[in-house]
Amino acid sequence: MTADEILDMLYSTLHTTGVFNFQWNLIIMWAIGCLFIYLAIAKKYEPLLLLPIGFGIFIVNFPLVPLMGYSHGHAQLLQVFYHYGLEWEVIPCIIFLGLGAMTDFGPLIANPKTLLIGAGAQLGVFITFTGTVLVGFTLKEAASVSIIGGADGPTTIYLTQHLAPQLLGPNALAAYSYMAMVPLIQPPIMRMMTNPEERKIRMRQLRPVSRQEKILFPLVTSGIIALLVPAVIPLMGMFMLGNLMKESGVVARLTDTAQGSLMNIVTIFLGISVGATMHADKFLSWKPLFIFSLGLVDFAVCTIGGIVTVKIMNLFLKEKINPLVGSAGVSAVPMAARVSQVQGLKYDKTNHLLMHAVGPNLAGVIGSAAAAGMFIAMFD
Amino acid sequence: MKKVIFILLALVVIPTPSIAKKFLGAPVIPEGKVTEKMDDRLELKTPLSHDEVLSYYKKALKGYENIKFRDWKNDTYIEDDGNMQWHSITISKTDTDGARVVIVKDSWTWIIGTLVLRYIGVFMVLMVLFLAMTFSGKIISSVVAKLEAKKAT
Repeated sequence: MTADEILDMLYSTLHTTGVFNFQWNLIIMWAIGCLFIYLAIAKKYEPLLLLPIGFGIFIVNFPLVPLMGYSHGHAQLLQVFYHYGLEWEVIPCIIFLGLGAMTDFGPLIANPKTLLIGAGAQLGVFITFTGTVLVGFTLKEAASVSIIGGADGPTTIYLTQHLAPQLLGPNALAAYSYMAMVPLIQPPIMRMMTNPEERKIRMRQLRPVSRQEKILFPLVTSGIIALLVPAVIPLMGMFMLGNLMKESGVVARLTDTAQGSLMNIVTIFLGISVGATMHADKFLSWKPLFIFSLGLVDFAVCTIGGIVTVKIMNLFLKEKINPLVGSAGVSAVPMAARVSQVQGLKYDKTNHLLMHAVGPNLAGVIGSAAAAGMFIAMFD
Repeated sequence: MKKVIFILLALVVIPTPSIAKKFLGAPVIPEGKVTEKMDDRLELKTPLSHDEVLSYYKKALKGYENIKFRDWKNDTYIEDDGNMQWHSITISKTDTDGARVVIVKDSWTWIIGTLVLRYIGVFMVLMVLFLAMTFSGKIISSVVAKLEAKKAT
């Protein structure tokens, strides 16, 4: 063997490593991945999702890693997760099943008026749509970006996958990031939109809700959603199935699995798959940066929408609603409801708003799903 | 002189590529005769049948990602959800002597209008749910109360 042959062999061997295929923009993606891992571990911001998302971003941004492509006609590991979990829209629906199995709709059933707050809080979704189109996004992309303000991760993923899969990574990341930052974003807006008297409004204790009503709720809701916004029934149907399992009390094992093991399993696949879509080549452009900045505005307008809806309702109601619960109309369950409680206690130490805020909070989930359904119907 | 003759011959012999006319970036069917033209709307009448016009547009718009063909009762409605200057091309089905084609400019009226409608739509969905819950809640509460009263007696 000649020296040239040995050098050739060495050269070709070195070219199979990532070192020779390195690009500078990968370093930026490592930094972004590590930032989300840091936020998850050190700041505990939505750690269940930001940690696997951060790692997904980090690991796919190495040259030649066989994770998100195809080798010999077969999908690579994360591509399999992405294809069957997200492209087939399975994971968001299973997450909704688990959420349904965890949710007590009692506060919403006891005070169904709060459903309207969930609708009002979708204001930002529609305003952001306009802004996004103005900047040059296509209508489908604009719809998928605007749903971020609904603060509902699975709905954002479901709609984005349906209308603009190329934006899945940035949209999901923006949705979960802002959901994690609800306690930082909402309080200044809540203070700005309310006066001290309004913040002290006391709400009557909610009536007890019978088991029969709780069992009937998922059936009625799925029926109405299926009739009016059929496009979103895969999500809402699973949500209501999970809730029916919980409220029926006869399938405890299934409920436990849906809200525990199954939810945890799909969360892992969701996080890593979303992170894996964010390769430097796709992510480092003006669009994701714009999505992040507009997502914040979207979220703020949705919060304002919820509060303004309460104020309008108060014009007609005998028993006033505390406008601080209006901000919970964006989904972000249960974080947004907790923020209402904390803000309420700041102005009156005995005024507990948590249960009152859970109603609009759950209405926000239904409202953002309805908005998503409207968009899907618009483009399908 | 020879050069001039050669150029003239070449112009006659070599087929010139057909340059399709466009209105706001939307292809205009060559056989169409303009019946109305405004800045934001073009209406054409063509001797071709609806199916022939449709197949022309399917070919002309092949490769465009955000184009949607909607089959309506009286028209075929081609809609752009992307960033084109035009919003829709409508091909009539009902005309007996050919088909009418209408190309309309993308407008903010449409975008804002559809958004407002959909926002109201979200309210309507939740309003229906509110009514359903209020009624079912009242009925179930009274039934449960009656049953409990019976049990107590």
